[in-house]
Amino acid sequence: MATAAVQTLDISPVGRVEGDLDVRVDIENGVVTNAWTQAELFRGFEIILRDKDPQAGLVVTPRACGICGASHLTCAAWALDTAWKTDVPRNAILARNLGQIVESIQSLPRHHYGLFMIDYTHKNYSKSEFYQEAVKRWAPFTGTNYELGVTISGRPVEIYALLGGQWPHSSYMVPGGVMCAPTLTDVTRAWSILEHFRRNWMEPVWFGCSLERYEEIKSYDDLMAWLDERPEHANSDLGLYLRMSKDIGLDKYGAGLGKYVSWGYLPNEDKYQKPTIEGRNAAVWMKGGVYDGKSDSHKTMDQAFTREDVLHAWYDEPGGLHPFDRTTKPVQKNAIDPDGKYSWATAVRHAENGRLEAGPLSRQLIAGGTHGEDWQYQDPLVLDMYRRLGGASVMLRHFARMHEGAKLYREAERCLREFKLNDAWYIKPTEKDGRGWGATEAIRGALCHWIEVEGGKIKNYQIIAPTTWNVGPRAADGERGPIEEALIGTPIADMHDPVEVGHVCRSYDSCLVCTVHAHDARTGEELARFRTA
Amino acid sequence: MANLLWLQGGACSGNTMSFLNAEEPSACDLVTDFGINVLWHPSLGLELGENLRRLLDAIVSGEMPLDIFVYEGTVVNAPNGTGEWNRFCGRPMKDWVADLAKVATFTVAVGDCATWGGIPATAPNPSESEGLQFLKREHGGFLGKDYKSKAGLPVINIPGCPAHPDWITQVVVAVATGRGGDLTLDEFQRPRTFFTSFTQTGCTRNMQFAYKVSATEFGQRKGCLFYDLGCRGPMTHSPCNRILWNRVSSKTRAGMPCLGCTEPEFPFFDLMPGTLFKTQTVMGVPKDMPAGVDKAGYIKLTAAAKAASPAWAEEDLFVV
Repeated sequence: MATAAVQTLDISPVGRVEGDLDVRVDIENGVVTNAWTQAELFRGFEIILRDKDPQAGLVVTPRACGICGASHLTCAAWALDTAWKTDVPRNAILARNLGQIVESIQSLPRHHYGLFMIDYTHKNYSKSEFYQEAVKRWAPFTGTNYELGVTISGRPVEIYALLGGQWPHSSYMVPGGVMCAPTLTDVTRAWSILEHFRRNWMEPVWFGCSLERYEEIKSYDDLMAWLDERPEHANSDLGLYLRMSKDIGLDKYGAGLGKYVSWGYLPNEDKYQKPTIEGRNAAVWMKGGVYDGKSDSHKTMDQAFTREDVLHAWYDEPGGLHPFDRTTKPVQKNAIDPDGKYSWATAVRHAENGRLEAGPLSRQLIAGGTHGEDWQYQDPLVLDMYRRLGGASVMLRHFARMHEGAKLYREAERCLREFKLNDAWYIKPTEKDGRGWGATEAIRGALCHWIEVEGGKIKNYQIIAPTTWNVGPRAADGERGPIEEALIGTPIADMHDPVEVGHVCRSYDSCLVCTVHAHDARTGEELARFRTA
Repeated sequence: MANLLWLQGGACSGNTMSFLNAEEPSACDLVTDFGINVLWHPSLGLELGENLRRLLDAIVSGEMPLDIFVYEGTVVNAPNGTGEWNRFCGRPMKDWVADLAKVATFTVAVGDCATWGGIPATAPNPSESEGLQFLKREHGGFLGKDYKSKAGLPVINIPGCPAHPDWITQVVVAVATGRGGDLTLDEFQRPRTFFTSFTQTGCTRNMQFAYKVSATEFGQRKGCLFYDLGCRGPMTHSPCNRILWNRVSSKTRAGMPCLGCTEPEFPFFDLMPGTLFKTQTVMGVPKDMPAGVDKAGYIKLTAAAKAASPAWAEEDLFVV
């Protein structure tokens, strides 16, 4: 057989990924055979944080990303809590968790309709039997469920505003607790907002059934039986998503690395009142860990395993360092060289397991494991689907994201039940020097902050965002980043409009705006020992 | 029908997220009820790669009219004025901004980054960021102080970190319905209708402010946040307590001090150690006074307030 010509396609930008992502793909016989992902924005938040007030991260880091600002705020607060060795009252843990959860619930319909489902109305799929219905529901701005979904996505964060005054960009989580002291009417109002969200979108539009019925689904067989059970299920947005995704082949590509990471999140209100870095794994409700699909095995995760390679990133320094040990030396001229350096994102890896995918799929695969504490959240569905369907795909990755919504909704309800309104919300801490680490799971995956306070100011602040895990370039050993790997095997119908590349990238819900680095342009000198990415 | 293009430079997408919270009108209403034709938006646009490039080229050449150019994020000039650290669609974003601003009928900066430079322009401003027509308080910015869009207006600045969705949608609707000429702007080119009153206007803690009852630490159910916790509500121009956030609240109502994010200096004091969530004072008197109040006046006012303060003012007000 003659060797097919390789065509190289540069796509700048791949939109609807939150920030600007550029992708280069090699295409052979209409299929992607190689891929490079490039982060093309550099702002320098870490240099801005250096030498600033220890609490500056509470104001600055949510503004690294207006999409998962509550997640950044959560990390910034817990990082200071561990550095200052604070006491955090029970109510404050619940109030932080609730803020984090409602931001994530907001993101589900917003990403689903606003960023993801639009592609199902692409002319590529006009021959699908579901196409007309897809256009009717999901066409941008005018689709019936697009409009409903995008508009109702603003409701959950009204609860965030009850706690923090506004979403996005509040700083209501502070070391020692929270700034607010909600009243009964805040709690009852929050309940009614949750109910509205459930009664007007989650149940009638997304599930086509009650939340309780959906929660009975524990396996792939259960899901298929649910789909066939009633027309309301098959015709719900979830039902149509599953049926059309299979019809247009989204269950066939986008697998990725098959290795997954999560920090776990939502510390239990009674188990993390004296927060420490070491005590976190056993204190969070949704457990963290690493899942290796190839050996089908789970293990725990620790921040000490984090490494960053820079061979293919625009930095001139040794690779393989832990974030606390890095000295950021960016190259002055950021020319794109696919064989050399081609991105501002570093290649994050686990010291033992190499590159790992972050995100809701990771969380759900890890939630299926039997590692961790008995009381922690366990859910077998997505792991069962992963095993039954032969691994990940665009379809499974996005399904996992939406599936988590039901769990988060219940946990939001629990927070509202658990508040003891007359108890403390804040215990004033004593500022001190030290090192801290705060982590959470943003809706799009593992997020954490490292802080070092010395002499009453920030000496070192570092962030590794979920998109750093997912969108990073090749590691020093050549292992591709998760999205680069996931693009391999993607069929491209039209070189001039490669919507399939969009499907893969958007299934990761990437957020390039978190990819921020430090460099002094005027002198070319290194200004920061830390960087956020 | 009005063509709208929205781009992001050195941005966090926070203004886009805020915009998507809009309700009257919602983002969708703008399209379906007000005839706003969204040519492209980074989070919402259909096109990618070369199809977007074609669209942008058509706008720049004048073939496709651009009625409203909305810009979110800073203009990144690094390294060395080249703008290469923020590339978009194959070239530095700043080059696109320069070209698009020339053909736009109205140019709108949303959020602090696009208006004054915001957080990325905080010292030492590693990305050499600036706003469209200001860098902090300094007039000029990327487009220069003489810039006017084709409608004859300078950049319309809608500051805030983020801007409130209603501030954005109301300006867009005004322009789309032919009332752009009614917009009056203050010295920082902010629409006066939103930015003449203060953040404190309508704050639920105004009585405690009047009686000088202080919230001394977070998580309390009483007190004004100005005296100890660094609240900038009395000297910040915004309608945050007139047009509530997410329909339900505001930072000061929830117990968070105002950070002054609609003013060019945000973040204040460059976030230097000791300046965050703490009122900066000299001999017990705040360095930054409520707008227009002098030191002697402040001392008289607060002494009288303390003397007149009723007993209830010291007790919890926002109770369960």
